[in-house]
Amino acid sequence: MRKRLQATAVVFSLLAGAVISAAAPAFAASGERYLHVKVQDEQKGESVNINVPLSMAEKILPAINNKDLHNGCVTFHQAEMNGVDVRAILDAVRTAPDNEFVTVNEKNQNVRVAKSNGDIVVHVRDHNNHEQSVDVTVPMTVINALFSTAKQDELDVAAALRALGDTGNTLLVTVHDASQNVRVWVDSQSTAN
Amino acid sequence: MLLLGKIALGMTGVVFAGAGVICSEGFVQVKVIQKQADGHHINVIAPAVLGPIAAHFVPARNLDDASRQIRPYLPLIDTTLDALRQADDIVLVDVREPGEHVQVMKSGGSIVVDVDDPNETVHVSAPLRAISGTVDQLASAAGLQ
Repeated sequence: MRKRLQATAVVFSLLAGAVISAAAPAFAASGERYLHVKVQDEQKGESVNINVPLSMAEKILPAINNKDLHNGCVTFHQAEMNGVDVRAILDAVRTAPDNEFVTVNEKNQNVRVAKSNGDIVVHVRDHNNHEQSVDVTVPMTVINALFSTAKQDELDVAAALRALGDTGNTLLVTVHDASQNVRVWVDSQSTAN
Repeated sequence: MLLLGKIALGMTGVVFAGAGVICSEGFVQVKVIQKQADGHHINVIAPAVLGPIAAHFVPARNLDDASRQIRPYLPLIDTTLDALRQADDIVLVDVREPGEHVQVMKSGGSIVVDVDDPNETVHVSAPLRAISGTVDQLASAAGLQ
């Protein structure tokens, strides 16, 4: 009886191994990541869903050459930065430990900018008229990629997309107000559901 | 009698081979259903291979303007179509309003656009390879490519 049970266990183990071996390439092959944008207006009954495979965006972006966007990079003009060295600030943030950088608490508004678990997080709560909230989370790896170009006045958006593809499921932006909800996130599902 | 049979067999083979070539690129479908009581129902299904061929036979002078306009965007169009071809089937854009629904999706090697509004339903499906071929023909029409 015991030998039969052992034999059965061995057969099932072999079968399970075979099934997993057969299924593994299928799982490995579907490693695509998707950028989703979802805008909902519940009062008006309107919704917009945009789903873009990140690999597709990575290929298309360098092909767009228009004004300040070229070869996957965006040029920002130092004159518009009012003398602020964005690279130096981000370098300081990158090397800093997790910390609250900015906290503003007013009667009707709260703002928080922090570094948390390697992500830059921005929370804004506006308690005026209609309750509004904005949450932005940007993985530090994405910011590093954004500033990975040699040129001082460029942002490498294509590299940021690649970095975004390497991060886990990430909720990047949520905006809520009285009627509208906006969500921007990255995951491995092709649908926004 | 045997000779006639061979000729018939040969012709049948040519017809089947021709049909195979024509169908090889898939089909372009345009379907419009007007929802009014006396509305029209239009459903056109055409072999996609006819698109580039038709563009080839349009006199170059008639395509000159379109060719010049499309030429700067050709690398972007080619890259986009290539990226779409390699992407999995996906709903790229979905817009819903009360009574209206618009979807743009990539499905089985084709771009599909579905529009449903109170007046009509429109379905357009075009194989990506055929779009690419037609755009290339259009761009090269005036010998600019």
